[in-house]
Amino acid sequence: METMQASGRAPAPVPIRAGAGLKPQHYQSVIEDQPDIGWFEIHPENYMGKGGPPLRYLEKIRQDYPISLHSVGTSLGSHLPLDREHLQQLKSLVDRFEPGLVSEHLSWSHGYEWYTHDLMPLVYTEESLQVMVEHIEQVQEYLQRQILIENPSSYLQFKASEMPEQVFYVEAAKRSGAGLLVDVNNVFVSCTNHGWNIDDYLSEIPIELIGEIHLSGHSVQQVEGRTLRIDDHGSPVCSEVWSLYQAFISQFGLAPTLIEWDSNIPEFPQLLEEVSSAQSLIDAVAETEVRNVVTG
Amino acid sequence: MSLLAELQRSFCDGLRTADAPDGALLEMLQDDDLARQRFQVYRNNFIVLNGDALADMFPVVKRLVGDEAFRMLATAYVRQHPPRDRTLLLYGDLFADFLQTIPELSGLPYLTDVARLEFTWTAAYHAADAFPLQPDQLQNLSEEAFAKLQLRVHPSLQLLASDFPIHRIWSVNQSDDQDELISLDEGACRLIVVRPDNEVQVRVVSEGEFEFVRQLMASATIGEAFEATNQTDPQFDLGQFFSRHLFDGTFCAM
Repeated sequence: METMQASGRAPAPVPIRAGAGLKPQHYQSVIEDQPDIGWFEIHPENYMGKGGPPLRYLEKIRQDYPISLHSVGTSLGSHLPLDREHLQQLKSLVDRFEPGLVSEHLSWSHGYEWYTHDLMPLVYTEESLQVMVEHIEQVQEYLQRQILIENPSSYLQFKASEMPEQVFYVEAAKRSGAGLLVDVNNVFVSCTNHGWNIDDYLSEIPIELIGEIHLSGHSVQQVEGRTLRIDDHGSPVCSEVWSLYQAFISQFGLAPTLIEWDSNIPEFPQLLEEVSSAQSLIDAVAETEVRNVVTG
Repeated sequence: MSLLAELQRSFCDGLRTADAPDGALLEMLQDDDLARQRFQVYRNNFIVLNGDALADMFPVVKRLVGDEAFRMLATAYVRQHPPRDRTLLLYGDLFADFLQTIPELSGLPYLTDVARLEFTWTAAYHAADAFPLQPDQLQNLSEEAFAKLQLRVHPSLQLLASDFPIHRIWSVNQSDDQDELISLDEGACRLIVVRPDNEVQVRVVSEGEFEFVRQLMASATIGEAFEATNQTDPQFDLGQFFSRHLFDGTFCAM
C-alpha cells in the first residue's frame, strides 16, 4: 500500500499542451517510456474501487504528469438529486491526486434508481437550465473548485426545447461560474446530425470561459439514406474535425487539448501520433501568436 | 411531475424495454422521419456500453458460450438488471445467478460457477489494499497465545467452492489459442481468490485449507479453526499451511 506523496510530484496545473486519455492498456508504456505528453486525463469513476492496481498505477503516473479528472457519473442534468456518496468519492480522488482540471458533461445518466452509464440528451428548457446550474454549483461547492462543462454530442432534439444548445450550454456555465470544455468533435457531430450551423454554434462561446478542448474520432452511419455521426471515440480524429480544431484555436486561442480514444483502443504509439498531431497545431498557433506580439 | 422528470423517465423506459419505444416518447422528439432511428442510437449505446462492461468482466463465459450468445445474454441482463452503481467496476454482480435462470444454458452446468469466479477475480482486483502480516508481529508468542490469535484475512480474500473443475476450465480458457479438453469427471474444486499485492491469485486448495480459512473468516481463533478443520479433514497440515501462507499476504497486519 502506498502512502500519498504530496511532494516530488509533477505540478498540478494542466499545461497548454496536448494530452491523452489514460487507458489501462497503456499503463505500462506510460510508466516505462515516460512519453513526452503534456498531461493525462482519467474518468474518476474508473478509480472508485476501494484499492487495487488502478489506483497504484495512477499514483505512479501522477508523479510524472499533471492529470485532469473527467467525470462521467455525476449526472448534472438529472431531475434527481446528486448522489452524496459519488461526490464524496470524487472529492477524495481530487484530494488524493490534485488534478489540474475537473470536468463533467452537459448531460444526464440517472433517470430512475439505475444509471444509463451513457450520456443522455437534455431538453433545453429554463427548468433544465436551473437544475443544471444548481447541480454544477453544488459540485463546485463540494469540491471547493471550479469545474468545466463539456458540450454533448447528440443525435436527437426535443420538441419542448426553448433555446439552442449553445445558448443553454454557455448560460449554464455563466450562471454557475463553471468553465467550458469545448469538445470540437462533439460540435461537429451535433451540428451535422441536426443541420445546425457550426459558426453560429461557436459564435456563442465566450473565449474567456474556455478551459479545455477535446478531440476524438467518431463513426458514420447511413440511416435511411441519411448520415448520422456517432461519437464513439473509437478511431483517429477525422480531417474535418482537425480543420475545425485548427480554425478554433486560431480564433479562440489555445487551451489544453485532449485526444480521447475509449473504444477499439489502439497500441500506444498510434495514440501518441494523434497527440503529436494536436501538439503540432498548438505549436503552429503559438508561434504565430509570438510573431504577432513581436511584430506588434 | 416536471417536464424534465417525465421526459427522463420516459427516456429510460425506452432505453430499457426490448419492445419498440413508446409512442408518447417518440411524440416528444422533433420528427424528421428519423426520430425512431435517432432514439435507437441511444438505446444501442446503452445496451452496447453496459454489455461491453460485462464482456470485460466475463471473458471466459463469453468464450464458452460464443460471442453471439454472450451478446444476447448481456443484452437481456442489462435490461433486467440495469447498473445500480455510479461506476461500472463491479457491474455484473448478479450475472452468475442470472445465467442459472436461462434454460438454454442447462447443458453447461458449470457456467454459473465460472461466472462467479470471474466476478470474484475482479472484486479482488478492486478490493481495499492492506499491509501483510509480518513475522515480527508474532514474535515471542507462546504456543498458547498463538492458538488464541484471531487472524485477519486480506480484504480481497474470497472463498469459492464448485462441484465442477472450474479452475481448470477458467485457466484453459484464458486465451483463445488453447483447446485442451477437460472432463467434468475431474470433479469439485475449492478455491481461494486473493490479491495480496498487485496480482490476483486464484489458488486451488484442499478441503482442510478451505475450511480453516472459512473458520478464520468467521472470527474463530487459530486454535478453534484448527479443531473444527480437523473434524472435516484430518489430513490438514497446519504447519505446512502456515509455512506457505502466514506471511505471504493472505493475512494482514494486526
